[in-house]
Amino acid sequence: MQIQENMSIMEKLQILSDAAKYDVACTSSGVDRKGDGKGMGNCIAPGICHTFSGDGRCVSLLKILFTNECIFNCSYCQNNCNNDIPRASFTPDEVCSLTMEFYRRNYIEGLFLSSGILVSPNYTMDLIYQTLYKLRVECHFNGYIHVKAIPGADPALIERAGFLADRMSINLELPTANSLKELAPCKSRRTILTPMRQIQNGIHDNTLLLGDTSYKGSQPLSTKTRSSQKFVPAGQSTQMIIGATPENDYQIMSVAEGLYQKFELKRVFYSAFVNVNEDASLPVLPGGPPLLREHRLYQADWLLRFYNFSVNELLSEDNPNFNIYLDPKCDWALRHLEYFPVEINRADYNTLLRVPGIGAKSARRIIQARRTTRLDFADLKKIGVVLKRALYFITCSGKMMYRTKLDENYICENLLRDKTQIPKEIRESGYKQISLFDVGMTEPPQPVSLAMIT
Amino acid sequence: MYVFICEDTIDGIFTAVYNAWDSHLGHKNIYILAKEPENYELFCEYIRVETDLEKSKKVADTIKRRLGVTVYTTLCEAIMAEEPCPKKTSRMNAADTFSITKADAFYRTLLYAFSMENPTRIMECLGNPYVLYLFELSRNVHTEAHHLLGFLRFQELQNGILFAETHPKNYVLPILGDHFSDRLPGENFMIYDKNRKLALIHRAGIKNFLITDASSINQEMIHNYSASELEYQKLWCGFFESITIEARKNPKLQNQNIPKRFQKDAVEFQK
Repeated sequence: MQIQENMSIMEKLQILSDAAKYDVACTSSGVDRKGDGKGMGNCIAPGICHTFSGDGRCVSLLKILFTNECIFNCSYCQNNCNNDIPRASFTPDEVCSLTMEFYRRNYIEGLFLSSGILVSPNYTMDLIYQTLYKLRVECHFNGYIHVKAIPGADPALIERAGFLADRMSINLELPTANSLKELAPCKSRRTILTPMRQIQNGIHDNTLLLGDTSYKGSQPLSTKTRSSQKFVPAGQSTQMIIGATPENDYQIMSVAEGLYQKFELKRVFYSAFVNVNEDASLPVLPGGPPLLREHRLYQADWLLRFYNFSVNELLSEDNPNFNIYLDPKCDWALRHLEYFPVEINRADYNTLLRVPGIGAKSARRIIQARRTTRLDFADLKKIGVVLKRALYFITCSGKMMYRTKLDENYICENLLRDKTQIPKEIRESGYKQISLFDVGMTEPPQPVSLAMIT
Repeated sequence: MYVFICEDTIDGIFTAVYNAWDSHLGHKNIYILAKEPENYELFCEYIRVETDLEKSKKVADTIKRRLGVTVYTTLCEAIMAEEPCPKKTSRMNAADTFSITKADAFYRTLLYAFSMENPTRIMECLGNPYVLYLFELSRNVHTEAHHLLGFLRFQELQNGILFAETHPKNYVLPILGDHFSDRLPGENFMIYDKNRKLALIHRAGIKNFLITDASSINQEMIHNYSASELEYQKLWCGFFESITIEARKNPKLQNQNIPKRFQKDAVEFQK
C-alpha cells in the first residue's frame, strides 16, 4: 500500500474519483427544493445531467470516495486492502471547497460521497458526517447530496448523516448471501440490511412527524440546518453487481422486487461486472462487461416500477433468464398473445401500458387525446408510440395497421428485424456477443422459433 | 384575409391576439404572423401590430384565469421557440403561405380552448393540428432548456462575476434565468446568448434578473479570468477523464447524450 504525503488536490481527485466510478448511481432526482435565498443551491425532482463521460454515462454529481484506504478485502473491488494501488484521503475542507466551486460553475448538481473503510465503519461514517455537516451548515450548500451509509456503522451516525443528505444508499453488492460471503467476507447480509431497514423507518417516521402539525419539538439527533429538515427526502437506492457470481436473472429480479416492496427503495442499480483485480475467484468475461444483460435488467426494472409487472410474469424457475434478443416486454407479449390485439380507442390505461411500443407517457396521452377525437395510426405516431413494435398488438377503431398474423413466430421474426431490439450503444460499442448475432441477421430472414432462442 | 404582423416576442404575439380579437373581422379571415412575410399576397390586407404591454397583460391574465397557469407556461414556452423553416413544397399555393406558424397556431388554440367545456384540458387535445404544433414547439424549448440547465458552464472573471456563453436554438434565457437566480442568489452572473446577442444579468442578492441587448459586449472582459478559474477548470477536466470506465468506453453514446452543439460551450470538451 502506498501512502503519499502532501499529495495535490488534483492527484487526490483523480485517485478518489477513479475509485468511485464503479458505483453506478449518479442520479440527482427525487427531490424538489427551492433555493433558500441565501445559501447556494436548489434541487429539481427529475434531476439534471451535467455532462456525459467517455462511456456515455450521465455525470450529475461529484462522485468521489472520501478515502480509498480500506480495511476490507472484497475481491471484486479495486480498493480491496490487498491491492497495491495509490491511496489517498480527502479532508472535509477539501471536499467542501471542491463541491462549492464546481457547483458555482454549474459543473455538477451536487455531491456523491462514498468511502473505503478507514480504521473502522464508525470512524469512516463519522468523517462522512463531519463533511456533510460542514457543507450544509458552514458553506450553506443547499444542492443535492447522495451519501453512502457504511455497513456496520452506529445507527446514530447514520441517522445524523441522513438528516443532511438527500439520498442514502447501501450497496447490496451481490444478490445472494452466499456470494457475498465468498467475495466480500467483511460484509454480511445483516450489516447491509440493518441500516437499509433503519433508513426506511427513518423516512417513514419523518413523514409521520411532518404530517403532524402539533409537533414542534426538535427531532432527536437532528442538527438545525435547514428550515424543513427531512430525513433522506429523495429516498434510498442500492446496487448489485451483475455477472461476477452465478445468480440468474430470476434471482436478481426477485431480489430487486423484494427491495422495492419490502424496503421501499427508490432505485435498484445494476452494474455489469468489470474485472479490475484479475482475481482468480472471479470469472473472466471474454466479451467484456455483460452490458446487454445489464440493459435487459434495467428494462425489466422499469417494467416493475412503472408498468405494473411482477417478476413472476416475466421469468420463472424454468425460464430464469431474459431473452437476450428481445426486450422483456416484447418477450412477455409474445408469450401472452391471448391479451392482444388491444383496441386503442377503448382499452384502459393498464392494458395500454402492456403493449410493446407504448410507454407510460404515450399511454397517458392516448387516454387524454381520445376524449375529444378517435385516434388512428397517424395520431399514434405523433403521440410518440413506436409503431414498428406496437402494430402487431393493436387496432384503431377495429382495424390493424397492416394485414398481420397474430402468431408468435411470425411476430417474433418481424420484431427481430428491428435493430433497436439491441440498443444502439451496445451494438456500436463492439460487444462481442452481438457480432455473432449480427451475422445471423444479415442472412435472409428465416423462421425463428421462440423455443430456439429462449 | 387580414394578416396581423407582430413582433416575435410573447408581448408582441399577445398584443396581436388582442387586436385580432378586437377587430371583429371574423376569426376565419384572420391570420397572425410573427415575422415579415416572405411574399405579400394580392388579396390580403396587412395590419402592423404595435406591441402594447397593457393589452399583452390582459391577454396573459385571461389565459391564466381561463386555461390555468400550467397551460399558460406551456404556451409561453411554445412562443419562445425558434420555428423551423416551413418546408417548401413544389406547388406553392395560398394554403402554403398560410401554413401553421406559431403565432397563428397560438390564436387558433385559444379559440378552440374557449369553445371547450373545460379549457384547462386544451393541451391534451393533440388531435387538433394547432394544439399539436404548439405542443411540439414547447417540448423542443423545454428539452433544450433542460439540457442547458446542466450543460451551461460558468467561468469566474477577474471581478468575481460568473460568465457563461451559450448558443441555444430557442429563446431559453428566461427559463435559465428563473433557475439560476434561484440556485445562485448570492452570485453576480451573466449568461450570454451568442446567437441572439442577448445577455441575462443577475445581481447578487436580488431576486429578479434582466435580459438586455449585448451586441457590443466587451470581448476582453469576458476572457479575463480570475486567478483560480483555470485551476478549477483543470480539476474538473481531470475528474471528467478519470470518471470514465475504460472497459465501457463508448464515444457514440456520449455524443448522442451530449450533442456536439452543447459540447462546444462545455469546458471539459475543449482540447
